[in-house]
Amino acid sequence: MKTYLGVDVGSVTTKLVLINENYDLVASIYSRTQGNPVDMIKKGLQKIRNQMPQEAQIAGVATTGSGRQLAGVMLGADLVKNEITAHAVAAMHYVPDVQTIFEIGGQDSKIIIVRDGIVVDFGMNSVCAAGTGSFLDHQAERLNIRIEDFGSHAMRSQNPARIAGRCTVFAESDMIHKQQMGYPIDDIVYGLSQSLVRNYLNNVALGKAILPKMVFQGGVAFNQGIIRAFNETFHTEVFVPPHNELMGAIGAAMLVHEEMRDDHRKSSFAGFGISNTEYKISSFTCKACPNLCEISQIAMDGKVLARWGARCDMWDRIDKK
Amino acid sequence: MKLGIPHFGNVYVPMKAIAQQLGITDALIIPPPMTQKTLNLGVKYSPYEACLPYKLTLGSLIETCELGANTLAQARGSGICRLGYYAKNQEQILRDLGYSAKFLTIDVSHNKLISILRLIKNLANDASWYEISSAFFFGISKLFALDKIEKVVQEIRAIEVEKGTANKIYHEAIRNIDEATKRKGIKDITKEYIEKLNHIEKNNKDHPLKVGVVGEIYVVIEPFANMDIEEELGKLGVEVERTMTLSRWVKYSLFLNYLGADEWRKVHHLAKPYIDHDVGGDGWESVGEKILFAHKGFDGIVHLAPFTCMPEIVAQNVMPSTREDIPVLAVTCDEQQGKQGLLTRLEAFVDLLEFRRRKNGRRIYNTR
Repeated sequence: MKTYLGVDVGSVTTKLVLINENYDLVASIYSRTQGNPVDMIKKGLQKIRNQMPQEAQIAGVATTGSGRQLAGVMLGADLVKNEITAHAVAAMHYVPDVQTIFEIGGQDSKIIIVRDGIVVDFGMNSVCAAGTGSFLDHQAERLNIRIEDFGSHAMRSQNPARIAGRCTVFAESDMIHKQQMGYPIDDIVYGLSQSLVRNYLNNVALGKAILPKMVFQGGVAFNQGIIRAFNETFHTEVFVPPHNELMGAIGAAMLVHEEMRDDHRKSSFAGFGISNTEYKISSFTCKACPNLCEISQIAMDGKVLARWGARCDMWDRIDKK
Repeated sequence: MKLGIPHFGNVYVPMKAIAQQLGITDALIIPPPMTQKTLNLGVKYSPYEACLPYKLTLGSLIETCELGANTLAQARGSGICRLGYYAKNQEQILRDLGYSAKFLTIDVSHNKLISILRLIKNLANDASWYEISSAFFFGISKLFALDKIEKVVQEIRAIEVEKGTANKIYHEAIRNIDEATKRKGIKDITKEYIEKLNHIEKNNKDHPLKVGVVGEIYVVIEPFANMDIEEELGKLGVEVERTMTLSRWVKYSLFLNYLGADEWRKVHHLAKPYIDHDVGGDGWESVGEKILFAHKGFDGIVHLAPFTCMPEIVAQNVMPSTREDIPVLAVTCDEQQGKQGLLTRLEAFVDLLEFRRRKNGRRIYNTR
């Protein structure tokens, strides 16, 4: 059985999926990146191997997410794809008549506009992470509730508190104020959900033509409170696909399947052995010119595999020697 | 007198050539190429809400002061754009910082040619007007040569096998043209480098995706300001075209416009149904150019705007209402923008353009 591995290394979570040629999910891993993507990829790969059926073999590997370059080098990926395209491809597979995709992840949020099966426009947060998973995580911690319970609190709310959503800091002071005024926690939690949706729509989605059918995916789509806020805003059901948290990885796997099939290529997958390989990630400041670029590099057994972050090609050249 | 000018694309090349022709090389301080240091200086001493061109030119002027400039040249104009205040404002900031450099301004709204020639005359007091004009023409012939080569570079970047080769040759060409001392030499170098560029090994994908770059002139022309967006698009297999070049500005603003030509007539005409007057800066032109590129069959538009730039914000909001259906990627340029975020957007944009071509029944030319 030919299978395709999709790896989505996000800022907060790392996702690995294995799909077969019919795009069915064969295995999947969802874990927190915990600031250590290399370890997470190694561990995740090991777990995928344990879940994998005996007869399965990996015929293609694709990486996506903010850590896609790093993961791509480690895994010997056949395809390194941006997360916007990956999310769109997966959403269109699960919901063929989708016209708007909301994706809210750990630290970024996107909107993708689809018409007649192709992406026509997209937006992504650039300067502010106020409306993302990390924001909710942080606020849940402040309210002393588990993020997993966030949704059920929000669902019980009758009179949501109005909370400023423009900025995390202001939202927090607003929230503290409402707490001191004696608002029930359910209303604060749902108020927070509404403010996140408001912030998202005024920021990332500003000026975009939002039409149904709407799909909501990414880790935050687990949160019933946010789903409720979306539904109430648009007076329509926002659809959350199965495996909402894995969509980026699934999309990447689908894309690499397509590419390997069209190009009749053999996968350059580095193999499961990388779980036992030592990788060293380091960074330094290049002082060759006043740009002072921050260069980060990944090395295996003392040999540098790749470098990133330079404005010029000085450090690429050294690699090739 | 030691004159300093802010760095802006290849402007330093003709300036240096003119000074050399007039034998006053000592009177001109060549601004160092833009780096993070320039940006940091500019950001540190500019008002927070000032736009990126303001911050970058201020940083650059500080760097020329550090190199010994005692007179500075900056543009001034009467358009509805902050550029009109740059010179006055920056002069005050530099004064407060303790630099005593004198400010000369170049009017880029009216009497541009006279303004520039007067500046040169100022610099080379004993030179005759004949000497000045011949040095001036020598200088701008370098500018035309560079833009001619760059046009080829924009095409080759998209289809070269070894990414970065065209760019390397381009920088070599800039150096050689910069060093040329004869007019004939410039012609030969141009020919030589265009030939070199055409001999780069190319992939067999003809008809790469084509993207038009529009927006505010400074961030469109200065690669540091737009994070080398043209080069990055080239790496993704996209051919870039941009109307705004320094040589075009010289050709029209300094010469042909005096003879009644209107460089933007067509562009303004195309924009008329949506925006029918100057909104300052290059906003009107951005809208018209979007339509023009759509008519030329381009796949997409990249719209570059400095953060807080009013004219381009107007353009950005008018663009979606045009009848021409062409994807536009709006890129805001400021010191906060991270390159990684830009690359993700560019990649997604290029995917979008490819899907669009596929849907329209044309072949896909994915050069990655």
